[in-house]
Amino acid sequence: MKPRTPPPLWRATKWIVLLVLLAAAYSLSWRVTQPDFLKLIVAAPKAKQIIGDFLHPDIIEREAEISLIEIPFPIPCGSTEVEAAPAPVRLRVEPACAEPRGIFRVSGSDLGPGSTVVMRWLLPSGGTLPIEQYPVDEEGAFSAEIQARPIAATKDGVPARLQAEVSVPLTRIHVSQAMRDVLNAIMVTIFMALLSTTLGTLIAAPLSFLAARNITRTSRLGSVVYYLVRSLLNITRSFEPLVIATIFALIVGYGTPFAGVLGLVITTAASLGKMFSEAVESIDPGPIEAITASGARRSQVVMYGVVPQIIPDFLSYIIYHWDINVRLSTIIGFVGGGGIGYYLSQRFNSFEYHKASTAILAIIVVVWALDFLSAQVRKRMA
Amino acid sequence: MLPLSSHPAHPPGECPLLQVQNLTKVYPSGTVALKDVSFDVDDREFLVVIGLSGSGKSTLLRCINRLIEPTSGRVLWDGQDITAAAPAELRSIRRQIGMVFQQFNLVRRSSVLTNVLSGRLGYANPWLSLIGLWPPTERERAMRALERVGIADKVNERADALSGGQQQRVGVARALMQEPRLLLADEPIASLDPVLAHSILQYLEQLNKKDGITVICSLHFLDLVHRYATRVIGLKDGIKVFEGLPQEIDRKRFKEVYGEEAQEVRAASLEAA
Repeated sequence: MKPRTPPPLWRATKWIVLLVLLAAAYSLSWRVTQPDFLKLIVAAPKAKQIIGDFLHPDIIEREAEISLIEIPFPIPCGSTEVEAAPAPVRLRVEPACAEPRGIFRVSGSDLGPGSTVVMRWLLPSGGTLPIEQYPVDEEGAFSAEIQARPIAATKDGVPARLQAEVSVPLTRIHVSQAMRDVLNAIMVTIFMALLSTTLGTLIAAPLSFLAARNITRTSRLGSVVYYLVRSLLNITRSFEPLVIATIFALIVGYGTPFAGVLGLVITTAASLGKMFSEAVESIDPGPIEAITASGARRSQVVMYGVVPQIIPDFLSYIIYHWDINVRLSTIIGFVGGGGIGYYLSQRFNSFEYHKASTAILAIIVVVWALDFLSAQVRKRMA
Repeated sequence: MLPLSSHPAHPPGECPLLQVQNLTKVYPSGTVALKDVSFDVDDREFLVVIGLSGSGKSTLLRCINRLIEPTSGRVLWDGQDITAAAPAELRSIRRQIGMVFQQFNLVRRSSVLTNVLSGRLGYANPWLSLIGLWPPTERERAMRALERVGIADKVNERADALSGGQQQRVGVARALMQEPRLLLADEPIASLDPVLAHSILQYLEQLNKKDGITVICSLHFLDLVHRYATRVIGLKDGIKVFEGLPQEIDRKRFKEVYGEEAQEVRAASLEAA
């Protein structure tokens, strides 16, 4: 038979139609996503600030010796009597009082080189009003102009007080609170992953035997069970862990690790069940035949003929999935699953990028370490 | 098909150990592996089944202990119908029938001891055996079985650390654990070189002569058939084309079973031996 070649015109038309459709798809996707590459350049200063924050994770703090110095400051002048401070004075104001909105100079000396001073008003009402933070020079002195705020006016004969919080840095450093919180949260995440992998395995292992052709499909009833379990695994596997975890977060409480664990258990059971059943299906049928021929029961055949063959595969899949679950549980935290992801999302929401950076660093280290570990273990098992 | 007259008669009134009656196996694919095969096996026989690969030898042996369900026909064990046996009954028949395989069928990752003990599962306590607990008497039995085939020193090695010949001896030891009355050997030497082939067949012969275990063994090589068999069955395309004494198989008979390539098969086997 002669091969029929389609007319050239038809072939050309086919290509043109295809190209037009492709162009339409791309133009539509451009309009839908509205990429604005110019913005990347315009927003450079903002990016610089945010990235700068991220490059300085909040890991350690220098310990500091903090001392407080206070002086009363009447606004307006003569609103109350102020006795002279006893010498030597480390904090002085010039003049000693001011009209509302008047400018005065505050200066300090002998505060310790390299320290910082945080100035604030202690209002007569009992509230505090931050002013600013000033660096101290090498001689241990600083000087600044401050405006007398009307809100700091003397009230019922009680003047507002100026407070200087002097922190002198020490050479000792210690782990910051943020770092301790991050370590705590990442341990929660690792154990969330461990628990959900374990529970998922306990569900997946028996199911995988039922979903293995060579074990289950030996009778009509077995075939029914095989297709039921296999469909169950396939349907469950199509659920996104993020979605399941969100639903569980709504049920058992937002931000609780338990919600994340529940979400991970289900996806782990489904995907390990599938992987396990394929491992069971790929075993050598010879030993099963031999042990069956010796008059053993079905359970004995599985224990002696199947289990020894699948143990290395099962172990390596379990470790691999623990690795996956650590990654997943960081993401699941964002939707209320607890652990490091939840911590990270909260730091983002309160613009604490230094602390967010600490969390990201911890995730990178842990994911890398587990990746390395699981590769090593799997290599040893092969 | 009626049993041939050349068949050795068993004492009247006593039924043969194994009776295969009109056995037929059609696979779901439509392949007819066995067609109306009948024969009897008496106690202490060394019956060899010959035939080309694909002639139905493996299917025949597996239909005897129902590793493969026959499509029709009966297999009688000591007068008891295996083909109609309930699961528990089938298990108790199976443990009297040991089996040795071409590919040894050992659990490669398990130890030699565990592999040998697994032959005893039909007798073992179902719960204790599941967690790997075996009474000392069974461990001693396993050691004796391994001594019998000359590899007691390998007891703690992993099965896949052994050579092919050693693995097949583990397979024989595993079958011995069943204290079988009948041993089915499915091409037990096809994966081994000729020297090892003789040593494995010698073990089977010893079990047959010394222990009185009946053997049904499928084989390829004519010279080995002459050396070991007390009786021979020839299969071709699932049909029994020969039944008789080994010395009755001459070139002509052999050609009937093996077809035109018989010449080469024989030459190769002689050279090998």
